[in-house]
Amino acid sequence: MNASDQSRQNILASIRAATRVGATDSLQVAADYEALPRTYIRRGELSNEELCELMVERLREYDAAVTECAPEALAATIAAQLKASGWQTFIAPTNLPADWLTSGFNWKIDRKLRTEEVEEAEGVVTAAFCGIADSGTIVLHHSEAEGRRLLSLLPDWHLCVLRASQLVETLPEYFDRCKEPPHLATYISGPSATADIEMTRIKGVHGPRFLVVILVRDV
Amino acid sequence: MNESAQGHLASKHAILDPALALPFPQAALPILRDPQLRRNIAHATDIIQAKRAKLVAEKTDWWQLRDAASAIRNHALENLGTYLEEFESRCTAAGGRVHWAADAAEARRIILELLREEKASEVIKIKTMTSAEIQLNPFLQKAGVDVFETDLAEIILQLGEEEPSHIVVPALHINREQVREIFARRMGLEHLSDDPEALTAAARNYLRQKFLKIPTAIGGANFLIAETGSVVVVESEGNGRMCLTLPRTMITLAGIEKVLPRFRDLEVMLQVLARSATGERMNPYTSLWTGVMPGDGPQHFHVVLLDNGRSPILARRTERQTLKCIRCAACINTCPVYRQTGGHAYGSVYPGPIGAILTPQLEQMKHAQSLPYASSLCGACYEVCPVKINIPEVLIELRARVVDEERDHSKRLIDPMYVGMKLANFLFQKAWRFHLAQRLGRIAVLIFTGHDGWIHSLPGMGAKWTQTRDLRGLPRQTFHEWWATRAREKK
Repeated sequence: MNASDQSRQNILASIRAATRVGATDSLQVAADYEALPRTYIRRGELSNEELCELMVERLREYDAAVTECAPEALAATIAAQLKASGWQTFIAPTNLPADWLTSGFNWKIDRKLRTEEVEEAEGVVTAAFCGIADSGTIVLHHSEAEGRRLLSLLPDWHLCVLRASQLVETLPEYFDRCKEPPHLATYISGPSATADIEMTRIKGVHGPRFLVVILVRDV
Repeated sequence: MNESAQGHLASKHAILDPALALPFPQAALPILRDPQLRRNIAHATDIIQAKRAKLVAEKTDWWQLRDAASAIRNHALENLGTYLEEFESRCTAAGGRVHWAADAAEARRIILELLREEKASEVIKIKTMTSAEIQLNPFLQKAGVDVFETDLAEIILQLGEEEPSHIVVPALHINREQVREIFARRMGLEHLSDDPEALTAAARNYLRQKFLKIPTAIGGANFLIAETGSVVVVESEGNGRMCLTLPRTMITLAGIEKVLPRFRDLEVMLQVLARSATGERMNPYTSLWTGVMPGDGPQHFHVVLLDNGRSPILARRTERQTLKCIRCAACINTCPVYRQTGGHAYGSVYPGPIGAILTPQLEQMKHAQSLPYASSLCGACYEVCPVKINIPEVLIELRARVVDEERDHSKRLIDPMYVGMKLANFLFQKAWRFHLAQRLGRIAVLIFTGHDGWIHSLPGMGAKWTQTRDLRGLPRQTFHEWWATRAREKK
């Protein structure tokens, strides 16, 4: 037995002595857990229209740029945003819908791109898993349309396409949408920021300095 | 060096090792005499408090969220053994390796061994107060590993050779001119301005290459999820995401109390944490990962679970709630004592009300005995705590334990406190004894009363009062005496 195993036994023994609950009581533990008070608000009350408005308002408070468009205008809207960014080279996750890869730009599809290649790119376009209006949060579960974690981190400009049907009002509603807990998740609420110097909020420390969101009005 | 840059030198000698630190009242003195430092602290805590109050007020179910957060944390602690084992097995199944460290020395040794396995001579770090608790950086430096902090506040502290004074914004005692001075000196940027934007950009440039080149990272955890074996890190800057994504190897150091039963518990914790900590609806970035993901992020992942005095705290009902803490620092920002003294006076990496109850217990009441007294028991900390830790209740319990520890029966007849209390007991039993004592006492105190009618310094036990405040001299009459003369004059 090595030292860490010995410590493991000692720590668990010390915890069990202090709490007097053994691992054999797992049914009781589960019952106790289910009985915990959860009287907080689960479901929101906003209409689809209000939900979109709230999400847009919250994102703008975080200095994210937001554009809304109809589903059929998505490709054109993406093209317009890419053009407006002034950049040329964009990363695309492996499974980004083909019609999002509008022509006239230098696309780098993530077929095992090296870190240096991602670092050299100027922007990235991704889908999202969900949007939480209450806090203006974009949720990535890093599927093949949302991309590896690296992709939405290194480029300075992140364009995220979010559908109105993916919006929820409250944080608990997002958890209801997860059939299984994700293995990876990133919750993004506005661009990278710090307030470490005199509590002055400064945008863009290490993550992308520019967050652009296209909200597709599909409902 | 300008005047304000010199101002923070007073805090340079702060010792955040509870075993070596001065008692709180002595450690607080130089800070109370440093107006720049006090202005910096008041400025930062005022801003966070106002933001927090606004965002908490907009949440109509805040009290229900607090009840749920408190119940979840309590349940996790009551069944800590079960949940830690569940976390360990899930994390291991997902490709992580879990290590157990009984104390700070063992945690440091495990981490160094892991770094040796990786042949790492450099390491990047996400801000983690737990690593400051075990004094990891100086240990690694001595062992020949270069440590690079990546959180902006931590860079300021590391380059300025300063100590943290807060658990969420550790450099809040340092203002922009002081940061400018530190960065200009240590990064060789002579013409750097003191604009926070320019200072932040300097930090970004300084770190970018380190993120891309250094293949080993160390971080902490805000939460461990037992159900899935996942780890959650809450941050603002993106330095955390860099450290969690780019390196080959990630080492997470986490206190054993950080575990939550299930993934869905985050629906409560993430709602209360950012609002309480920084006054934001949600912090810019929260990352969750589970073991090792092929093709995405570090391919070697270790979790070091640290006890270091935590498990004995569970045994005491009242004190157990200390471990519910999610390190939001709301109690620190609201504390009238912290707002005057800042963090360094506490002689621990955990300052403020939570530090006043956590530090002495982690030290098994052997050190930091002055901290349970570093409070006016006003209860503001309890009111803002998102997991409902009744800090005043724990403070009183710990004061009782400090007195019990100090009590030495064999020496009680020469203990001034014991003799004084016995004497008071005798005097207070009869009114005439009390009145006589008042008269004699008034005469005795005259010796110490200055011409201005104030007592500035008392000997012996009395010095505990006068070392931090003046005492008004006793009036010529007591109220009773005045009342009696008044009644006679009326007749």
